[in-house]
Amino acid sequence: MPPFDDWNIIDEEEEQELQDAAFFDGKRDVILFCIDCSESMHELRDDPNYEDVKTSHIFTALEAAMNIQKKKAIVGPNDSVGIVLFNTTRSSETKNHATEIKKNSFVYQPITLISAPAIQELIQLLDAAREDPDLLKSTFPPLTGKKMPIGDVFTSCNWVLRDGAPKTASKRVFLITDDDNPHPGSKQLVTSARTTLLDLTQSGVQIEPFFIATPEKPFNSSKFYSSVLLPNVLNDEDEDTGVLPESISITRIDDLLSQMRFHEVPKRAHFSIPFQLADGFVISIKGYGLVTEQKKGTYKYFVDLGDRMEVANSRTVYVDEDQQAEVDKGEMVYGMALGAAPVEGASDDEGEGADTVCRAVPLGKRPFYTADEIRSFRTLDLEPSIKLLGFKDPAELAFEDSVKHSVFIYPDELKYSGSKRTFSALLKKMIEKKKIGLVLALTRRNAAPVFCAMLPQAESGEEGGWNEPAGFHLIPLPFADDIRAAPLEEAFRAPDELKDAARVWIDKLCVKDGAYPPDSHPNPALAYHNAQLQASAFREEFDPEAFEDLTRPKYDMIHKRAGNLMKEWKRALLTDESANVVPVTTGSKRKADVSVDEAEIRSKHEVGALTKLRVDQLKDFLKSKSQPVSGKKAELIERVGDWLDAH
Amino acid sequence: MPAERAGYTVTMFLIDVSPSMGATRSVELPPTPNGEQRITEMTNLEWALQFVKLKIQEMIFNGRKTDQCGVILFGSEETDNIIHEKNGGYQHVSEYIPITHPSSTTLAKLDALQPSEHSGDPIDALIVGIETQDIYLNKRRTWTRKIVIVTDGQSPMEIEDWEATVKKMNANAISLTVIGVDFDDDEFPFHEEDKSTIKVENEAFYHKLTSALDNGLVGTCVFALQEIARPDMKQTKSALMGTVLRLGDVDVRPEEAIEILVKASKCTTLARPKSWKKFGRREKTDDQMQVDEEEDMTVFAQLKMRSEYYIDHSTKEGEEQDKMNTGSDDEEDNDKNLEMVQKEQLIRGFKYGSTYAPCPDGQFRRLNTRKGIDICGFFHAKNFRRELAMGEVQYIWADPGAPQQQVALSSIVQAMYEKGVLAIARLVSKDGMDPKMGVLEPRVDTNIDFLLWVQMPFADDVRKYTFACLEKLVSKNGESVTKHPYLPTEDQLEAMGKFIDTMDIMDSGEKDDEGEPIPWYDTRQSYNPAIHRTKQALFHSAVVNDITSNPLPPPHPELLKYINPPKWALKASKDAIAECKAVFKVKEVPKKAAKVRKDGHVRAMDEDEDMLLLDKKPAASRKGKELAASQVPVSPKLARPAKESAASDSETEEESDQEPLLLEKRPFNALPTPERSMSPDVDPGRAPGRIIGSTYPLRDFKSNLAQGDVVTKAVEDMGVIIKEVVLRPFASRRHKEMIECMIAMRDTSLKEDEIDAWNAFLRDLKESCLKGAGNPEFWQEVQKLGRSISLISEPEAKKLGGHSEFSESASEEFITQ
Repeated sequence: MPPFDDWNIIDEEEEQELQDAAFFDGKRDVILFCIDCSESMHELRDDPNYEDVKTSHIFTALEAAMNIQKKKAIVGPNDSVGIVLFNTTRSSETKNHATEIKKNSFVYQPITLISAPAIQELIQLLDAAREDPDLLKSTFPPLTGKKMPIGDVFTSCNWVLRDGAPKTASKRVFLITDDDNPHPGSKQLVTSARTTLLDLTQSGVQIEPFFIATPEKPFNSSKFYSSVLLPNVLNDEDEDTGVLPESISITRIDDLLSQMRFHEVPKRAHFSIPFQLADGFVISIKGYGLVTEQKKGTYKYFVDLGDRMEVANSRTVYVDEDQQAEVDKGEMVYGMALGAAPVEGASDDEGEGADTVCRAVPLGKRPFYTADEIRSFRTLDLEPSIKLLGFKDPAELAFEDSVKHSVFIYPDELKYSGSKRTFSALLKKMIEKKKIGLVLALTRRNAAPVFCAMLPQAESGEEGGWNEPAGFHLIPLPFADDIRAAPLEEAFRAPDELKDAARVWIDKLCVKDGAYPPDSHPNPALAYHNAQLQASAFREEFDPEAFEDLTRPKYDMIHKRAGNLMKEWKRALLTDESANVVPVTTGSKRKADVSVDEAEIRSKHEVGALTKLRVDQLKDFLKSKSQPVSGKKAELIERVGDWLDAH
Repeated sequence: MPAERAGYTVTMFLIDVSPSMGATRSVELPPTPNGEQRITEMTNLEWALQFVKLKIQEMIFNGRKTDQCGVILFGSEETDNIIHEKNGGYQHVSEYIPITHPSSTTLAKLDALQPSEHSGDPIDALIVGIETQDIYLNKRRTWTRKIVIVTDGQSPMEIEDWEATVKKMNANAISLTVIGVDFDDDEFPFHEEDKSTIKVENEAFYHKLTSALDNGLVGTCVFALQEIARPDMKQTKSALMGTVLRLGDVDVRPEEAIEILVKASKCTTLARPKSWKKFGRREKTDDQMQVDEEEDMTVFAQLKMRSEYYIDHSTKEGEEQDKMNTGSDDEEDNDKNLEMVQKEQLIRGFKYGSTYAPCPDGQFRRLNTRKGIDICGFFHAKNFRRELAMGEVQYIWADPGAPQQQVALSSIVQAMYEKGVLAIARLVSKDGMDPKMGVLEPRVDTNIDFLLWVQMPFADDVRKYTFACLEKLVSKNGESVTKHPYLPTEDQLEAMGKFIDTMDIMDSGEKDDEGEPIPWYDTRQSYNPAIHRTKQALFHSAVVNDITSNPLPPPHPELLKYINPPKWALKASKDAIAECKAVFKVKEVPKKAAKVRKDGHVRAMDEDEDMLLLDKKPAASRKGKELAASQVPVSPKLARPAKESAASDSETEEESDQEPLLLEKRPFNALPTPERSMSPDVDPGRAPGRIIGSTYPLRDFKSNLAQGDVVTKAVEDMGVIIKEVVLRPFASRRHKEMIECMIAMRDTSLKEDEIDAWNAFLRDLKESCLKGAGNPEFWQEVQKLGRSISLISEPEAKKLGGHSEFSESASEEFITQ
């Protein structure tokens, strides 16, 4: 087990540098699922996943809501979720103080911190609904004959959010409906919907619509929603520019969950800084982390108070141990470790017995730096910005020029007008001329400047679904300090025949037009951890057998396609003469030939006579098998035995 | 001669302390922040000692016990050396610091050095140095021996028999460096005017001496000091970690499956600046007035980190939530709610939403994995998406001791290379460790074939944010727009094209061995400024006593090599840049709100929630302001002018506790007040110009006091806030808090001589509370506290040297009535 305690003791400076991931943890997110409960949503259809099961859109929507909650419970345990249903005759029994939930909308889950019981309740409801397809209809009876004004739906959402959402959280409403024209012919209702939506967005709430289309009933957003959802759906930062906002997801019901996944984490910029193309030619950009390692949640400390568990917050203080005095952060100064306390008696330092190292200087002098000075050393007094240094050929960016994940940048019109057209022109021209940029980036005030390659990315135009956005990827380049020289320079090479033998099975195992597909590789360790965490929270038994690691190689496929060829190659390898050369060992002065061949060791092992071998012989053997050579003889013997058993 | 190893070295520093070293010189200091040139005076000895101290500091820094040094003085008052003890002679040479691993004391002792009244012979010192070193290293023959002479070359030397010394030094493989104060150096170049004859001769001799040595060097001090700041990389040899490269199922189908013994080693690894140690100035305590000399010394003690654990008993909804994240910012105020707990009592666990899942080991069962690299498949290199690579790169070598494995790997690498494919590979670094996905790239080098592995993201690691399309804009009517300020015009595109062409840095003008132009910028020559500057600063602080009067010299030019675009490219692109500026017309948006956000961003390092929100949602603050207006229904058209005016409006809206539902988002204070940098959390309830907000008045109050010099303002604002809160409807739930505020305020008023302010405030408060729509209940609560909260009376004030217009009885009466 790694010493986890050490993880908590990250040095402060490092923390500031490493905060990429922590960046997202601090903020809370609130999602209100707002699901249409009309008759068409209740209509039973063949389930996309299970045969002979009939499910309704509303079932799928609730199931998606449940899955999102499950995910969020782990990645954002401080996030809140709520569920509101509209176009139902069921009314909210629990009349909350002063809330004005409109008629025909029902608060199924008020906005609360995500908790295991709430999710379990939803799971139970869904399980029951799967057994009895009419359950949902009876639980949430649809409003027949008419539709609830969408304006009222928004008003209800607004109240529900005000009731439960923390002030500082980002708030979003996931609107799920299949009705593209709830109010045919009523101009007034359109206006009211727009007005109430405006109220909602003004209080910092975003609407993210998920419109369900079926082959029989396509969803035409221009009928109603395009005039309502203007102007700032999904894009709170753009002012009304007379342009339709970006993607409104219109999706088939089976894709609902995957569509929601895209929006699971609210879009947050890592930084928003100027981009200096040349002196006096500056635009503004925002940076987003599109690729960031998702780690297991950090454990917390709890105190068992008998009746409940309470989180214990940790606080780090810095103390002068001799005097047991806490030192305020503002008064700390920084300097070099003083080395070991002087041992020689004649020193003029603090008296004996003191294990705190001190440095004394004449009064009024200061041999240490302040926090500000320290920062200026790290940043070279640069202000956060990106500075263009020049353009290069793409081949200049080598495979091994990688130390950190990339960041995506996108123009921000708000600080410098004209940023978008300039950015757009730069992108277009760089793609055309096949160039990459070299920039110096200081993304946050406390970070250190770093050189980055700037890769242009054109938008991949695929209708619907998710598009690769247009913009630049900043790839941090290693410094000379980060590069390690190759430790080996020479090795035996394969002859062409052997290479050709390898080539044939590589041909078979090569995916045509394939690429590295991140989507098909969910992190198994994370999933395994989360599954256990969820089981523990639900007080269920965890079954490790049921867990499937999707990243394991597809053995059957490999052997089916190339098994024989691989066998051929192995045979060729064994007959290859260069493989049988005895390596010239360098630097061995005195060693006589102690090596015992594998067959001999194996035979010794079989008769249980490994103890007859000497330690150096055991070690040599282990070394040749890339096994550790540490430990006492007994351990070595055990290890050799294990290896022989396994091979 | 074995190659030099790190450590296992004894360096003898021979330092000239002859009277001539006491000559003062002017040393240029880095300019002050406002650009003034600064010059300081120091003796040649102090100046040259900087070199010695930096060298010694490096030894301390590296912390190798086998990196040792000793210091011998020549020209010293006393004579104290091993040869003198045995044979006499060798006057004025003394062993100042015996050979040992240096520590801060070593540096402190060097600081104490003063030029003497005698001159000493460097050759004597050299011989003593050789002898001392030799005796010390008697049993350690393999250690590296170094001698450094620091001198101004002004003292007479006895140079007979120097060849014998050279012989001895070469026999012992000693390397000698002579650091000369104002020695001439043609290459640097440096030339001293009016050099004394003796110095000219001595310099010539040093050159003769060092060239006769196998390993000798003379350098002028100014150059040595500059070179010592040159970025110097710590060469680390990566360890080769044994692992297995697999293809196929080795357990079930071993006859087909492939297994190659390989070694992995690091190719890139992120180096970080050295961490700083934290120090606190020690306050003088009575029992510490020990030795007389130390009385006028400031003592800085190194601090140690300690973690404390608390449970938060505060019941205030919402606030509790906020506190969770702000952590240690406001412990002062919260102390009463916090209970410290011992670490032993704690149980580890995870949060699942608001539910806790205890997990005593701090870790659930791990996925069962087997060490090795499993190839999952191959794909064409052209489809590799470079931006997905997630981190450090590893070399994968065939086992260097197994030719067969080498041939096996080589065949695969060559085949992959020939076909132009990469492999998808799953890596497990140790049995039971979490697997990582990555790709393998084949590399065919001159004499070896190997693979490079880089981590690629899992599905969980990729965030798919949606961004508006940059090129295709759609109008409200669903038509596509071709002309728009967001879209570049033909002219603009052309100007940008020129800019890109002229800023091309593929040809820096230099050529490589094959005559190919070398592009500007090379990762292998770009030093991380943070690392090297931090190191330079660390060293500097260790060798000087005062940062203010002796600031850090500027960074070495090598560090700044790539900070700006190359001059030739800038020159070539001058016209293109001018054209771009003219056609793109990019303008900074002078919006106030935007300004705030910019500031906010600059401090985005603060993990404070509010700030981050401010940062990411530029529009939020504006929207918040509008909210008050939006209680009246507004149509979108009307909303826009409101937006404009709201942005420029100075904020007057106050926190209204009675309507918590309506005001979820409060405007942020747009005026940058000086204390904001201290307490990054901006109080939404704080009006502009006020340094105390209504949300956490006591906290604000205390933090302002802690800063000092704003006491009057703090007391005044506190009074205003208390009155404001008390007189609001439904204030009763904050009564207790307000009384606490009053106690704190009175206490401060009394101590800080704001007595009149308190008395005026209290009378005003009483009057307001008892007035028509006041808050008589609150005043009753105040009365309960009795005399201690009443007006400050003259006797009370006098004790602390203040004044009051009220007598003791008036004060008594005021509160009881």
